[in-house]
Amino acid sequence: MASFAGRERSALHGLGVPGHYGRAGTAGLVIEERTDLALASITAKRGKRFALVNAVNTAFGVALPDGPRRATRGSVTFAGTGPDRWIASAEGSEAAGFAAKVRARIGPFAAVSDQSDARLVLLLRGPRVRDVLAKGVPVDLHPKAFKAGDVATTLVAYIGLQIDMLDDAPTYQLSVPRSMAGSSWSWLNASAAEFGYDVITR
Amino acid sequence: MRIPCPYCGPRGNDEFTYLGDATVRWPDPAAPDASQAFHDYVYLRDNPSGIHQELWYHGGGCHAWLVVTRNTRTHEISDVAFAAGGKP
Amino acid sequence: MNAPHRLARGGLIDRALPLSFTFDGQAHSGFAGDTLASALMANGVKLIGRSFKYHRPRGILTAGSDEPNALVELRSGARREPNTRATTAELYDGFIAASQNRWPSLAFDIGAVNDRLSRFLVAGFYYKTFMWPAKFWELLYEPLIRRAAGLGRAALAEDPDHYEKAFAHCDVLVIGGGPAGLMAALAAGRAGARVILADEDFRLGGRLLAERYEIDGKPGTEWVAEVEAELASLPEVRIMRRTVVTGVFDHGQYGAVERVNDHLPVPPEHEPRQRSWKIVARRAVLAAGALERSIAFGNNDRPGVMLAGAARSYINRYAAPPGRRIAVFTNNDDGWRTAADAHAAGIEVAAVIDSRAEPPARFAALGIKVLTGAQVSHVHGKQSVQAIDVIDSAGRVARIACDALAVSGGWNPAVHLTCHLGGKPVWNEPLAAFTPGAVPPGMHVAGAANGALTLAECLHAGVAAGAMAAVECGFPIASIMMPSAQDEASGVTPLWHVKESRAKAFVDFQNDVTIKDIALANQEGFSSVEHLKRYTTLGMATDQGKVANVTGLAILAGVSGRAIAEVGTTTYRPPYVPVSFGAMAGHHRGKDFRPVRLPPSHQWATEQGAVFVESGAWLRAQYYPRAGEKDWLETVNREVATTRGSVGVCDVSTLGKIEIEGADAAVFLDRVYTNTFSTLPVGKSRYGLMLREDGFVMDDGTTSRLAPERYFMTTTTAQAGRVMQHLEFCHQVLWPELDVQMVSVSEQWAQFSIAGPRSRDVLRKLVDEKYDLADKAFPYLAAKEITVGGITGRLFRLSFSGEMAYELSVPARYGDAAIRAIMAAGEEFPITPYGTEALGVMRIEKGHVAGNEINGQLTARDLGLGRMMSKKKDYIGRVLAQRPALADPDRPTLAGFKPVDRKARLRAGAHFLSIGATASAGNDEGYMTSVAFSPMLGHWIGLGVLKRGPQRMGERVRAYDPVRNGDVEVEICNPVFFDAEGARLNG
Repeated sequence: MASFAGRERSALHGLGVPGHYGRAGTAGLVIEERTDLALASITAKRGKRFALVNAVNTAFGVALPDGPRRATRGSVTFAGTGPDRWIASAEGSEAAGFAAKVRARIGPFAAVSDQSDARLVLLLRGPRVRDVLAKGVPVDLHPKAFKAGDVATTLVAYIGLQIDMLDDAPTYQLSVPRSMAGSSWSWLNASAAEFGYDVITR
Repeated sequence: MRIPCPYCGPRGNDEFTYLGDATVRWPDPAAPDASQAFHDYVYLRDNPSGIHQELWYHGGGCHAWLVVTRNTRTHEISDVAFAAGGKP
Repeated sequence: MNAPHRLARGGLIDRALPLSFTFDGQAHSGFAGDTLASALMANGVKLIGRSFKYHRPRGILTAGSDEPNALVELRSGARREPNTRATTAELYDGFIAASQNRWPSLAFDIGAVNDRLSRFLVAGFYYKTFMWPAKFWELLYEPLIRRAAGLGRAALAEDPDHYEKAFAHCDVLVIGGGPAGLMAALAAGRAGARVILADEDFRLGGRLLAERYEIDGKPGTEWVAEVEAELASLPEVRIMRRTVVTGVFDHGQYGAVERVNDHLPVPPEHEPRQRSWKIVARRAVLAAGALERSIAFGNNDRPGVMLAGAARSYINRYAAPPGRRIAVFTNNDDGWRTAADAHAAGIEVAAVIDSRAEPPARFAALGIKVLTGAQVSHVHGKQSVQAIDVIDSAGRVARIACDALAVSGGWNPAVHLTCHLGGKPVWNEPLAAFTPGAVPPGMHVAGAANGALTLAECLHAGVAAGAMAAVECGFPIASIMMPSAQDEASGVTPLWHVKESRAKAFVDFQNDVTIKDIALANQEGFSSVEHLKRYTTLGMATDQGKVANVTGLAILAGVSGRAIAEVGTTTYRPPYVPVSFGAMAGHHRGKDFRPVRLPPSHQWATEQGAVFVESGAWLRAQYYPRAGEKDWLETVNREVATTRGSVGVCDVSTLGKIEIEGADAAVFLDRVYTNTFSTLPVGKSRYGLMLREDGFVMDDGTTSRLAPERYFMTTTTAQAGRVMQHLEFCHQVLWPELDVQMVSVSEQWAQFSIAGPRSRDVLRKLVDEKYDLADKAFPYLAAKEITVGGITGRLFRLSFSGEMAYELSVPARYGDAAIRAIMAAGEEFPITPYGTEALGVMRIEKGHVAGNEINGQLTARDLGLGRMMSKKKDYIGRVLAQRPALADPDRPTLAGFKPVDRKARLRAGAHFLSIGATASAGNDEGYMTSVAFSPMLGHWIGLGVLKRGPQRMGERVRAYDPVRNGDVEVEICNPVFFDAEGARLNG
């Protein structure tokens, strides 16, 4: 019986080779793929929104955001992606079997689907990160307009993706459909080359 | 155009798909005149000059169907609401 | 090193940075800060190009993006760029430029014979001369006209440079970096607003760079530098040089093109050549200035005739005067400034010819020869100005020798961007110009663009507009000391053309439209300004008539006896200047034209040497050739035969996958599918059919019930996005009262179809032993969560091929591991991977419909699926599917087709005709939708829709395909060609 253990492929397999690319010198952008996240989509059942908010609060200690924002407690985050829709993520020890755990805890109030393999998740930071993102992200990322904790679902280079601002470093997180990892990587590389960029792994 | 999505905020119209008149109502399929009513529902749409309520789908964003009140002459958008109801 | 015509002093050029360049192969030198036009002028090169229609020699008319004449080819090889205005091309060392639209040389151009033939080439000549016979158009006229009338040559090689698109957001977008724009940016910037200041030039200052104005007692350029320094110090102000705002779009959106590296021979590595911007601004201040206009008189297009303001640019900014003995022809005071500046620069001024009776007193002290109430009627000299004829009010003609003529017909405010959302400019009689009418929401217009024609007015208007824009964005009013500057109006008295002209008097230089053409158009009834434009091509060249339009319609007003206000303007549309295709495409060209979706087995398939095919956004394996196979057909036949004989595997991850949950999930599915899903047991799958509301088939697929309130739907690859949108429409718009939730899980799962008599044997080696896969325990249409390779997956007993088959789902990160494990497990049987071709062959052999049949024009009945339309419930599309026309038994209906001559090839798209019927639309009985070579049957087979097809089994019809010379007799048969009883599904 073949075992798949250890044979998982990251969404960036063969693309995200660590190193410095683009213009020589200090990197304007640092890119890191997150492969440790478990993801689950959550949609409130009809009329169960308040019950869901309570359940999430009880189970995870997180106040479910009521708009395109993210709320984190410990290693679990809930990000608003649409009316009555969220994407939950977990890292570290919470990640194993995360979707099943979420379903077990809030299942009566929400539809839950495992999305852990559905996305390429990239962390982006560096002095030119906003200049790079401006080459595709149509949303205003000025710190007055898009703050740490804000989330946007939008089209970048014709690819539907989610962008989260994690902190004021600033660090942004891009979540891209897995099948479009290659095309989004091509766009990101072309956009960042002008400033020089590093690809790193943890 | 930019459409102020009640969930996502203002976004370019390339994130949206247009459907058309939001005031028509899905007819009762059990009614005796259902055939005529569905014909009118599917094919007979007004194309008003001026204020119009339209359905737009934010497929490039939050996946909400929206009722957008737009002046077809000036593109001025005076109101946007979720088609499914509910608060922004 | 100094070029012969360069002034010894002055100018905003860097004399410490000499640059060498060539024009038509001739080496010249210029300085940093030059444009190609100014550098050519400094070198005494006056003849720059040949005109579009008459091939007349042309020089430089303007000093900016309004240039109609001096179009050149820049660079060489793959970077060759045609039709670039020499007046905006920034010089760099090693710059290569060439003239265009001339043969064999610029000075001796054969095409110039058109000038002699001009009586045949008047407005509308192509409608008149080349009318008959029609086929001559393609063979003779068009190639001839194309060769004779011309612009430059595009590079034939792929552009090696990178282009990109970008977004910017601000409170206040200031368009134009002249005095008004600088003050607007300062007023808004000091108030704390996020400001973008965009200017098309490589240097801020606008007209201040070209004039000898003082502000606050300082030279204008010094003042510009101070303002620029303050703007640069404001953190929320962004200065964008070399950036033209090209269009205004709804709700505060502006298009702009930044020529990032056009001023370098090759962009620095990793940098784009150009960047197109979409700027979202809450407010905008249009401070685009004004464009000078010419006056139409005989030979007013000769090299050396130039706009008076441009002449000042060349003298003051570039120290490159247009001539050594300059005459000025003006109808306003501004022209006098050129005479004064030339005089101050030590250039001889031959005369000022002012069409007005009273010259301005303030220039009297210059001691220049002045002719008032006079007009220039003719220019002597062919490739450069030699002399001019001046006619006075008494009709006396005097000849004045000169080598350049500066002309000012007044100024037209650059109203273009105010009109992009439908605004119409209004005629302002005192200014003798159009000024902005209704402007786009959120836009303020300041300075010369708004008809403010003195420097003091411009500065004031800029402050007011910038402050107002900032206030409207919620910022306070910033304190600004109003600078002092000259405030003398130019006092224009309109003069559009000189009646006494005998030679051609040009209005539109680029499209060679003369005053005669306008008169002719009016005479022939084209008196509406929009008709005039199309008939004469006035304003339709790449410069969009920036110099020509107002003059043209003023002349039209004159010849048609109407007021200019009554004639009105044509419509100004984006883009303000030509935009390159590269800038429009940005990153999205070649392999990045659009995003490509890759299924989880892609890398493995690449290693196998698979041939790929685009399937919607997906790149899928089409077939997997092996060494020794001579063509695709042999490969596909082998894949089909191996699958049907043993086992095959195909990546079907591309199917749309949607999880549907909720107490009303079953009700919802019953309403969106024609058949019933509420009765589907947990752990089972069912084939489902969806209609559009108009009764035609939208999509098909299988849906499995994972739990009582949880379903897993698959859609076709092509329609995945549309189905999701449709389901969300049904839920959110039609039935928001239903408790149903849906989410795409297409990206989460890698899904493989494993088909063939040995498929179970393969799976048995992969799926954990505790799961019983025997036919009884896991029969056709079973669905179950399983563990495979130590991870949780899903197994479905589904078949598109007609074989005993399974679909195995694993989380996408294990997709690569899964395909390798399946192939390893199947090796002994043996197993083959198969691509979309074999998939297609097998489904056609089984008569299964796919995208070719679900084409938006066919109903469930047409596809032989009428039995799937439930009579016990309502569903989307039910009512309109009952329409008499859709229920008509004569409608073309699905059937199978075999060539009577079994060696014949079938073609999809062929139309069916009765034997002996003539090939006419009236005799059309349907069409072939899909064909394949069936390795199982050994001949071509087809599916198609034929009038009463199912009732005509055994009959013969023609499959007629005139496009590909196809005309094959075919036999009508059961669309299920292979294993009609379905015995192979089980086992």
